Amino acid sequence: MSFNVQSFIEALRSAFKYAPVTLELTVITFLVSLVLGTVIATVRHYRIPVISQILGVFVTVYMGLPMMVALILYNLLFMTFYNDFATALNISTPISEINPIYIGFFALILGQSCSLSEAVRGAFRGIEKIQYEAGYSIGLSKIKTLYRIIFPQMVPILLPGMQNSLIGLLKASNLVSAIAVTEIMTGALLPSLLYYSYLESYVAAALVYWIIGIGIEVLAHFAEKRSGQYLRRINSD
Amino acid sequence: MIELTGVKKAFGKQEVLKDVSIKVNDGEVVVILGPSGSGKTTFLRCINFLERAEQGKMVFGDKILDLKHVKKRDILYVRRHSAFVFQNYGLFAHKTALQNVMEGLTQVQKMNKAEARKIAEDALSWVGLLDKKDFYPAQLSGGQQQRVGIARAVALKPDVILFDEPTSALDPELVGETLEVIKKVAKMGITMVVVTHEMSFAEDVADRVIFMDGGVVVEEGKPGEIFYKPKEERTRQFLSRIIPQDAYVI
Repeated sequence: MSFNVQSFIEALRSAFKYAPVTLELTVITFLVSLVLGTVIATVRHYRIPVISQILGVFVTVYMGLPMMVALILYNLLFMTFYNDFATALNISTPISEINPIYIGFFALILGQSCSLSEAVRGAFRGIEKIQYEAGYSIGLSKIKTLYRIIFPQMVPILLPGMQNSLIGLLKASNLVSAIAVTEIMTGALLPSLLYYSYLESYVAAALVYWIIGIGIEVLAHFAEKRSGQYLRRINSD
Repeated sequence: MIELTGVKKAFGKQEVLKDVSIKVNDGEVVVILGPSGSGKTTFLRCINFLERAEQGKMVFGDKILDLKHVKKRDILYVRRHSAFVFQNYGLFAHKTALQNVMEGLTQVQKMNKAEARKIAEDALSWVGLLDKKDFYPAQLSGGQQQRVGIARAVALKPDVILFDEPTSALDPELVGETLEVIKKVAKMGITMVVVTHEMSFAEDVADRVIFMDGGVVVEEGKPGEIFYKPKEERTRQFLSRIIPQDAYVI
């Protein structure tokens, strides 16, 4: 079996066509998880009673659940219970018309929020206590100190890890193909269903992932350079 | 006027403050002296609630507060009418000198940016650092950072400024420039409570000196009295160790 350029180009075209699905899964999941993860980390950092313990146990337990297991589990739960749920709430949309991507989002966001919350907790530890005290001493409230003083200083600490999780997420996003969502990899494989050109399809998929991955790295590098400005000692004069 | 009475505080089993009371009149400069571990820094931090006392009362302006059961609103009130100068400067690391001074003006006192910038620039030029206004703390020397810290405190026009060993973290050659600025603040007539080890500075600027040891006020009085005619044996001991010429005499 030789490498068929024609099939490769066709696979590449198909992969690109589904790239927005992957991007959507990656970017939206990342942004929502960043917010949720920050909330979880903040609650745990301030040791807010009860909620913080519950979240602590939840994160620990949930981090042990492989993404694939979570995805298929949620999908099965959804398929088993949707009809009862829909009748109870008078929802008339049949199950076949609901895009399985939402289940993908649900599973990815839960997992990602947990791991990002740990990263944010780590960043909290990188901020000196005196930064809080300085905020309080000039009369800022707790919340204002948090978002005016603490969060901005966490950004440069978080960025290298964020780049890592974003790329991890990009790769994890192809797991949602397991619940019948077509994304880059399954998109690239579509032509091979007709021509048996699997090698060409997988190379095409890899190429598209690479391009996006490199894009993320370039962006992260740029962001890192900008956000850490104040950490540099040497000045222009 | 600020008056604290019966302040008690313990860290675990370690009693740091055992019933401390002081009164600071408007415009007065009070210097608190004492060996390390005497509780003087903790006491200062209790005034603006960076540390919570377990017992005690505070009269702050026209407010009377129970230090233990104080409301959030009252804590903010005290913090918004006082300023704190930290031993380790405590500048916001991600903000330039100018932004450090502006932060409280725009975010707490709700000034518009132009007005806040004007005041912040004046404050920085007053401490001799206008040319460094766009520098980040990491680009400034310790003495310069501390002067920005003082500018930040003064710009807020607080009723009282609390200084927590403002020169203890500085290289010896940078202590002078910082003390000069603090003396300038004292001359403005702002009420000040200063925890320090700088004896000659205390003698120069203090209206009253309080000597603390072991979590209690041992003695207080005019600098001349405390330094040259201490009543308590403990004060005399401490001074003889700190003031160099005495050490040679013995």
